[in-house]
Amino acid sequence: MHIDLPALIVSAILLAGLYATMSYGLALIYGVMKIVNLAHAGVMMWGAYLAFIFIVNLGMNPFLAPVLIVPTFFFLGILLQRYIVSRIMSAPPISSLLLLFGVWLIMQNISYLIFSGDTRAITTPYTLSTFLVGGISISVNRLVVFGVGILALVSLRQFLGHTYLGKAIRATAQDGEASKLVGINTQWVMEMAFGIGIALASLAGSLMALIFAFDPDFGRSHLLKGFCIVVLGGLESMVGVALGSLVLAIAEALSVLWIMPAMQDFVSFAILVIVLVVMPGGMLGLLQKFLKT
Amino acid sequence: MRIREIFSLISFLVLAFSTLPLAEVMAQPKEIVLGTALPLTGGQSREGGYFKKGYELAVKEINDGGGIPIKEYGKNIPIKLIIYDDKSDNTTSVQLYEKLVTQDKVNALLGGYGTPLITAHTIVAEKYRVPYLNGGGATAAIYQRNMKYVFGILASIEKLAHTLMDWVSAQQDAGHLKKPLKISVMGENTSHGKEFRQGVLDKSKAAPARFQIVMDEPFELNLKDADPLLQKLKASDADVFLADARLADYTTIHRRYTELRLYHQIVSYGPRGSEKAARDALGEASDYIVSCNWWHKEVPTPAARKFAEKYAQTYHEPAEWFPALAYETVRVMAKAMEMAASLDKSKIRDALAKMDMKDSLVVGGRVWFKPNGQIDNDYVMMQNLPGAKVSLIYPPEVATAKAIVPIPKK
Repeated sequence: MHIDLPALIVSAILLAGLYATMSYGLALIYGVMKIVNLAHAGVMMWGAYLAFIFIVNLGMNPFLAPVLIVPTFFFLGILLQRYIVSRIMSAPPISSLLLLFGVWLIMQNISYLIFSGDTRAITTPYTLSTFLVGGISISVNRLVVFGVGILALVSLRQFLGHTYLGKAIRATAQDGEASKLVGINTQWVMEMAFGIGIALASLAGSLMALIFAFDPDFGRSHLLKGFCIVVLGGLESMVGVALGSLVLAIAEALSVLWIMPAMQDFVSFAILVIVLVVMPGGMLGLLQKFLKT
Repeated sequence: MRIREIFSLISFLVLAFSTLPLAEVMAQPKEIVLGTALPLTGGQSREGGYFKKGYELAVKEINDGGGIPIKEYGKNIPIKLIIYDDKSDNTTSVQLYEKLVTQDKVNALLGGYGTPLITAHTIVAEKYRVPYLNGGGATAAIYQRNMKYVFGILASIEKLAHTLMDWVSAQQDAGHLKKPLKISVMGENTSHGKEFRQGVLDKSKAAPARFQIVMDEPFELNLKDADPLLQKLKASDADVFLADARLADYTTIHRRYTELRLYHQIVSYGPRGSEKAARDALGEASDYIVSCNWWHKEVPTPAARKFAEKYAQTYHEPAEWFPALAYETVRVMAKAMEMAASLDKSKIRDALAKMDMKDSLVVGGRVWFKPNGQIDNDYVMMQNLPGAKVSLIYPPEVATAKAIVPIPKK
């Protein structure tokens, strides 16, 4: 059986863009607040449904819908942090895990009530559109999602490195107490970071809705994949997340040469376990350690 | 004196009761209680909602006719239907079935929807020896546990695969497809998918001159990336592509299938294919896909037509297989009670085991059960046509059009 390796690798690279987009928010929130946002899956799911409403019900351009969705969820994230998450910031980590798990379940059940358990999908004029490059069929939808993933990475890098808020977020992520001592309003920083993280999750959901069919349980398996990527990339680094996404997508794609496709998740979680044991700082941590020595 | 009075009274009572018909002495049930727990909320709320409609329609129809005639009591007894919401949750569902048996004292149980839920329910039914009939669980695994009180009117998934392969054979015999035919098969990594793949493999092993399996792969539910699977499919160089997938995975796989510009002479996703949500999502890409199902509103039998019309009048929506099989589940249970001439649970169970109902709306029109409690009737096969149309293509007695094989290249 001759597998078309170049096509497989191109597909994996495009998939990496999607993986990265869905993982940035998870990494940002963990980096600043040291909490694992289990509601991330719920936000992706709501992002998908909002995209469905804008695109299918209101007839909006599919690539303009995120322009409305992202700010909406940014403010939702701020409110969630201000009125709910902030109350358990000083509690043991299990409290935030349970709280955000509860938020996810509430979001899921609201969706079941409003949208029922029906599977939905968004069809646009670009759906199923492809073009050939060197005999490899490239999906327009996937290419756009990949482009947005790159754009999100560049924007995040610029924002975190060159704006006051971005620097304040990085400072709070490094040392919250020291940040307070130098006059940073860390509560405000956390609200902003949470808002941005939630906005990124909604962006991922709205883009994923262009590729995948979804229902209120959407996001669960993507969340687990996001954990793998964030751990692989090094928990707090956006470049690490992008790199982690690429490594994971290529590893999953190439694994088909040796193991059955049903074992793709095995590859992801085997990588997760190996990384946690061998290089707890992720790939970037290992690279830095290597450069020091 | 006092002893003589008491003795006289007892003698009178014994004499009086011995002259009354037994049926009048026994407690006369006011109603027959049927119970079910359905996924009315949660992940399977759509299907659960359909089952509720089917059950309620059948119960209303029977009660409007006076109820079920039970000879032991010499009269028709109306049905009381108890429906609980199991929230698509196994644990809740089992608790509700326990409640139906121990507190609500049901005479018989009607099934819910989906293999995991039904597998859980059947343990309760068997434990308390209450007849359990379902129209929502097809995997043979449900019926392979030597349970005596469990029956189902959905034919097995292996049978679905067999029907599909029989139809492919018929296409070969008609000269539409070559022999041997290279087949790639894939299925979700669940008992559903495994049984489908097994059914295809069994048929191909039995006819090596007709079929050659060039790929056989399971895949995980909720696929995030179908490319590795589809690259394997492309490399297999198959003539025919057969898969078993849920709606979301069917949509994901077939979108990528189309984007990768793959082509096969026959494409089927097992029971999936003609759903409106999928056709909306896939557009023209879903044309000519072949699917197998337990029922379709266009099946040209009086019972099927009658139900389809009645359902559309009552609920103002076209009938799908879910409410049709739910409706038939109640009718079969009522028939079993009538045959048992009693509300004794073991007698109802025996009547189900001996069931041979001829005017059914199921494909083939006949309901009977194999020793394991599962029906073994035919599936109906459909093919999507351009313009969101569907034609019935197999078996010949229900076909409304000839299949278009091979699928036209786009």
